[in-house]
Amino acid sequence: MLKLLGAVILVAAGGAAGMLVAREYARRPEELKSLLSSIQMLETEIIYAATPLAEALVRVAAVSDSHVSGLFQKAARELRDMTGCTAGEAWERSLGWFYTVNSLTRREMSILSNLGRALGISDREDQAKHLKLACEQLKREIARAEEEAAKNTRMWNYLGFCGSMAAAIILY
Amino acid sequence: MSALAAGRSVNQPRESNPWPEVLSVLPVNIRKIVSGAGAEVLSRTEEIRIRSKRPLMLGLDSRDVMLSGEGRPVNDRGQAYLVGEEDVDRCLHLVSGSSVYALEEEIRNGFITIAGGHRVGITGKAVLEGGRVKTLKYISGINIRISREIIGAAAGLMPGIIDRERGTIHHTMIFSPPRCGKTTVLRDAVRMISDGLPEFGLPGQTVGLVDERSEIAGCYRGIPQRNVGLRTDVLDGCPKAEGMTMLLRSMGPSVIATDEIGRVEDVRALEEVLNAGVRVIFTVHGSSLEELASRPALNYLFRLGVVDRYVLLGREGRAGVVKRVFKAGDLAEMEVAKC
Repeated sequence: MLKLLGAVILVAAGGAAGMLVAREYARRPEELKSLLSSIQMLETEIIYAATPLAEALVRVAAVSDSHVSGLFQKAARELRDMTGCTAGEAWERSLGWFYTVNSLTRREMSILSNLGRALGISDREDQAKHLKLACEQLKREIARAEEEAAKNTRMWNYLGFCGSMAAAIILY
Repeated sequence: MSALAAGRSVNQPRESNPWPEVLSVLPVNIRKIVSGAGAEVLSRTEEIRIRSKRPLMLGLDSRDVMLSGEGRPVNDRGQAYLVGEEDVDRCLHLVSGSSVYALEEEIRNGFITIAGGHRVGITGKAVLEGGRVKTLKYISGINIRISREIIGAAAGLMPGIIDRERGTIHHTMIFSPPRCGKTTVLRDAVRMISDGLPEFGLPGQTVGLVDERSEIAGCYRGIPQRNVGLRTDVLDGCPKAEGMTMLLRSMGPSVIATDEIGRVEDVRALEEVLNAGVRVIFTVHGSSLEELASRPALNYLFRLGVVDRYVLLGREGRAGVVKRVFKAGDLAEMEVAKC
């Protein structure tokens, strides 16, 4: 009886672990998509409305999804405090924090980091190029993340469940 | 200040403190150096000059000084703090609020107005398009001109230009050589006209202010940073000639004020305003009436004979001192209008 209970717990734990990993894979494309839409909003603010950067970041933060709005909010705060830092530095600091609270990869972070270095330092035409580039790169990352998600989500769901089932049978 | 204050206990001009706004656009290291220069030097500072690979300089009222790395004024360029390219870049970042794209027009014109109404001039390499300046790149020189609001600066001017009979002001031209405080006096005069001076029989007037270079009202994102009075409408960054006509049509001003009239189209627009029964007050660069009359556009204005008061400002101890007020009649005697 005790053995059976142990086996059930093992299978449940293994299944749950698998599902957790699978969910991580499924979350990335969603996060990337909200990031993309926020950057597109930033593009509109900069290129069409010529809104000053600090204000543009605040506006974008206000309408962004909750898990990406912090990135824009923090950068705006750094800029507004007039501590003598440039937009690039404010963005970098905010990005450093953002990296710790989401599931983006190094490659995706470097896209954002490159964008930050160009933010605000040139005319509209040039800003448009940098923003477009970041958007294109993010779109590619989204496609890649979706592909990975499709592959890995199912695999981890099964793997967690079946692996733990196999272990339970062996131990039983 | 005590020498200046002597004999002016009443209506003593009050000067604003421009430093918090100015320091906030300087890179942190330069901020420290400039703050280290001491209150005496800072109170006389009119400009901060940041030129790539050259010494950091402050333009004082009478001369300029270089600053050492600790902020000490020095004369030897070897001891002075050498501004790096990074300093200039960083300063441009701070001046523009990291929003160069939002200031294309300003950069094309060579200056940006920051919060507090201070004007920041920039130089670099001009990028041309169709023979006109499209933008500047490789920015290498920044000059921060500190704008000081002196409440009460026009106290000496006002009694001479008020038209007590009609309860308004005479058409007035303020002229002086550069750096004698024309803009400061005009700003304060606008404030007084707009708020009204009951003791001189002047009720508050609706003033339309055309501030082409954002120096008078010091607008930052359209909002005046300087006290230009309760009844003043500011058209910021607008060419004078066009602006005066626009104000005349749209805002129903009793007085129109503007800075630095000099081109033919400015005088034409002024003529239109004068004919519309609106009083005008404006400034002109020049050290004497004869010199002004030798400029074709202004000569035409003299010949129109409508401006009633010509006020010459000078710099005696401080900027913005009224040296002389000429009336229209004096001009006829001096035969200026005929030359």
